[in-house]
Amino acid sequence: MSAAYRPGPDAGVTVSDDGMSVYVARLPGGPLLVLDGAAALIWAEATTAPATGWVARVAELVGQPEDAITADVRAFVGDLSARELLVPLGGDADPPAGA
Amino acid sequence: MATQEATGAPSAGATVPLEVRIGFAHASVQWIADRCGADLLHVKGAALDPTLVPGRGYSDADVLARPAHVRRLLDELPRHGWELINTFVYGSSFEHSATLRHQDFGLLDLHRIYPGTGPTPERAFDTLWSQRTTKVLGGIDCPVPSRDAQAVVLLLHAARGGSDAKAANDVEWLWTSADDAARDRVLDWVGRLDAGLAFSVITGTLDEHRDDPAYDLWRVAARGGTRMEEWRARVRAARGLRAKLTVASRSVLVNVEHLTIVRGRPVSRAEIVAEFFGRPARGLREQVSRLARRSRR
Repeated sequence: MSAAYRPGPDAGVTVSDDGMSVYVARLPGGPLLVLDGAAALIWAEATTAPATGWVARVAELVGQPEDAITADVRAFVGDLSARELLVPLGGDADPPAGA
Repeated sequence: MATQEATGAPSAGATVPLEVRIGFAHASVQWIADRCGADLLHVKGAALDPTLVPGRGYSDADVLARPAHVRRLLDELPRHGWELINTFVYGSSFEHSATLRHQDFGLLDLHRIYPGTGPTPERAFDTLWSQRTTKVLGGIDCPVPSRDAQAVVLLLHAARGGSDAKAANDVEWLWTSADDAARDRVLDWVGRLDAGLAFSVITGTLDEHRDDPAYDLWRVAARGGTRMEEWRARVRAARGLRAKLTVASRSVLVNVEHLTIVRGRPVSRAEIVAEFFGRPARGLREQVSRLARRSRR
């Protein structure tokens, strides 16, 4: 059973002690990104198994209906994927907008 | 969505703790070392076993490179945003480290030797490398010396720390209040690293090594001295006439890199000339005032 995404091969990742901030650096030259709050939750769930239902887990954590957040979540992980900081592993990696 | 680039001057809400930046500095240089085939050991700071000196702070990343691999690292680092701000020869009396700066990751000290270890830089590195372990820094596996070797690395750093409070605290934790078993492990590594001279600073027996060419270097590092005493010690410690002459001639050159950092901007020709004539004069003034203090005692 795998996660929906894994960190990119050139991504360095550090999570704050309280889990509410994720620092992601594109190695070796930067930039250094800060994912705060909901963004940190999305990173955590996207990279945590199982892939199935990961967006629903985010929705539950932020107290929103899944279909209300899916488009934003999709755009967000799409941005991180474009920066090669996240790599999709298949399965439920690409939730349909409005699903 | 709260994704913020922390590059440059971080805005409110996008601040990155210093220890996080430094962790990524370690990760960055390890990424580069892995790709260019360089062996690196991450020492002190974030790489330190946290149980050795609890709560010990740090402000930069320190790495020790296999001496034969230093050149390739210095060639690669600038290609990835690392700017050289101080070279080995002007770094310290021991000429042991170069300093680089990265916009996102902060400061990196690249060591080509670790002062106090021997019998040669290559063999000292091999000795540390042979017992290495791994620590995850910035999400990347980074080789670090064994826990006991880390203790000796810190003690040797403290040996040239003079009256620095942080150095004194390291000595307290790792030597003064250490039990016999821990002291035996430290002494074992001191022997393996041929670090007897430097370690004699910690045990208060440095003066038993007056005949050692590097004695004055450690005396000045541990107890302080004038600029002139420092350069005299560097000349005495240099091996061979050619090396001694190189050190001596360097002592009257201006460290343009250092001057640039101090001024915070590129320095002009006039400032370099002024510094050239100012340094020997300053060394002389320090020497004179030191002698005056002695005569008043």
